[in-house]
Amino acid sequence: MDKPIRIALTKGRLEKDTVGLLEKLGFDCTAVREKGRKLILPVPDANLEVVLAKANDVITYVEHGVCDMGVVGKDTIMEMKGKFFELVDLGFGRCKFALATKKGYDFYRGYGVKTIATKYPNVARSFFEKKGMDTEIIKIEGSVELAPLLELADGIVDIVETGTTLKENGLEVIEDVAPISARLIVNTVSLKMRQAEIEALIEKIQANL
Amino acid sequence: MKNYDLITPEGTKDLLFGECIIRRNIENTLREIFSSRGYCEIITPGLEFYDVFNLNSRYFPLVNLYKLTDSKGRLLVMRPDSTMPIARVVATRLRDAVLPLKLCYNQKIYLTEPALKGRSDEIAQAGIELIGSQLKIADLEVLSTAIDSLKAFGMEFSLEIGHIGVFKELVGKLEVSDHDKESIRKLIESKNYPALNDLLDSLGNSPVTAALKKLPALFGGIEVFDKAEELIPDENVKHILDELRELYCDMSELCGSDSNISVDLGLVNKTDYYTGVIIKGYLQGHGEEVLSGGRYDKLISEFGYDVPAVGFAVNVNAIQKVIEKNGLYPAMPKADAIVYAEPGCEIAAIKAANELREQGMTVENALFDDIETVREYAKEKKIAKVVVVDGASREEE
Repeated sequence: MDKPIRIALTKGRLEKDTVGLLEKLGFDCTAVREKGRKLILPVPDANLEVVLAKANDVITYVEHGVCDMGVVGKDTIMEMKGKFFELVDLGFGRCKFALATKKGYDFYRGYGVKTIATKYPNVARSFFEKKGMDTEIIKIEGSVELAPLLELADGIVDIVETGTTLKENGLEVIEDVAPISARLIVNTVSLKMRQAEIEALIEKIQANL
Repeated sequence: MKNYDLITPEGTKDLLFGECIIRRNIENTLREIFSSRGYCEIITPGLEFYDVFNLNSRYFPLVNLYKLTDSKGRLLVMRPDSTMPIARVVATRLRDAVLPLKLCYNQKIYLTEPALKGRSDEIAQAGIELIGSQLKIADLEVLSTAIDSLKAFGMEFSLEIGHIGVFKELVGKLEVSDHDKESIRKLIESKNYPALNDLLDSLGNSPVTAALKKLPALFGGIEVFDKAEELIPDENVKHILDELRELYCDMSELCGSDSNISVDLGLVNKTDYYTGVIIKGYLQGHGEEVLSGGRYDKLISEFGYDVPAVGFAVNVNAIQKVIEKNGLYPAMPKADAIVYAEPGCEIAAIKAANELREQGMTVENALFDDIETVREYAKEKKIAKVVVVDGASREEE
């Protein structure tokens, strides 16, 4: 048997959805489901090895080729960039990046430079760059919704799923930035060196989406 | 103020001993391969005017370069590439030279990589440029040299060819802005099928958009050519594909039965001065290409001398990484003997050491003032022989 193909999964919801998908393909993922504290787990009948990592690290591992494939959200890809093949939109983990402000706030009024709070400074910067608009971007690590409420920022660029958190805090989406879903990414060399195996797996995945 | 006097800048590192041996071995191996084919070495300055890299087609974005100014305030950059400086030399000092010119180089390039990504900002490259021939045999020579360069390190490798012409033909038929063309290129490069499909769908349905959608999937073995011809019914593209197929078959024949040649029609890289065949080389166990190159028939004309060219560069750092990862460290060289001088006999000792060196031995002069320390040192460094020079006599042990 060849060395297993290593696939890095973003811990949490994307991990669960991906494991569900692998099981739908008929692979035995018991080891991954009963992982305990282990971070590298075999899926023997698929000759796969699952690596569990944080979203940003999934990209890092795939870029360096220590993992052949990865499942990661488009949000992380947009923020991190990087060199890899982005082969499949897996369809799960759907949400969007949006620009939100306090309800009723007229964001585009006036000539003052607006302040944006976000966990995704690169996404926010490139969104406003495309508009040719200068903004001041402040990186926030936790609940970004706080920043406009505390009047640190005029608006936020953040991931929005249902919009409930925004609503409960008196904020509203004023513009969509980009749709998000989980992507299957592949290292550029792995796809070439192990083309047959990876393509077979991808075909199976696509047939079951 | 914080001082940085004990560390090297991010993206750079010191190489010590065994690492240097590996580095020089790689460089010598490649230099031997190049010079045995008649390539002559050329060394260009590490500093160049920014203008050299800022031609019409803007191959190198300013943000990725190390920039500085000279005493007159002119913008200089640390060389981010060797091909452009060599093109400059060819268009100037070598303008009257007999063609074809066969040039090789072995020097470092500098690019700012994103921090904390484990990448080098300083990369040693060794490569060749074959200038002045548009013949197929020129492509073949460069490709076979690329194969030999990858083979030389005894690891599993793969050489991939593509042709920028397919993409350029197709995208040239689309009536879209340069910005959209660049977006399409980027999506093909990253094989981002979902986004590529969305973008092309928004441009309407035509045979061209249908073909562009399929382009990133057209990679693999010989079967790719048949698929491509079926999917892209275009005279010009067919001509390019025929050319590439021929090259592919020739290379497979050269490579033998365990053919490591593949084709990817979706190779559409940035910093692309390429006009024809594109090559990429991979080594098992390294996540990025270790060799890249191709044909660039229009580049030198941007320096005012219209002459075709083809070449490639090997990323020496990458090869070194793979070798070190595989634990293939060479044995550290050690001295065969150490010569110790009793007080007053220093000159005689130096002469004695030289005599031994003339016999082909590696000999250290002992730099201690008592023989016991010398013996300990020799034991520590595994030096087999200690020579004591004492007046007229010479004692070996």
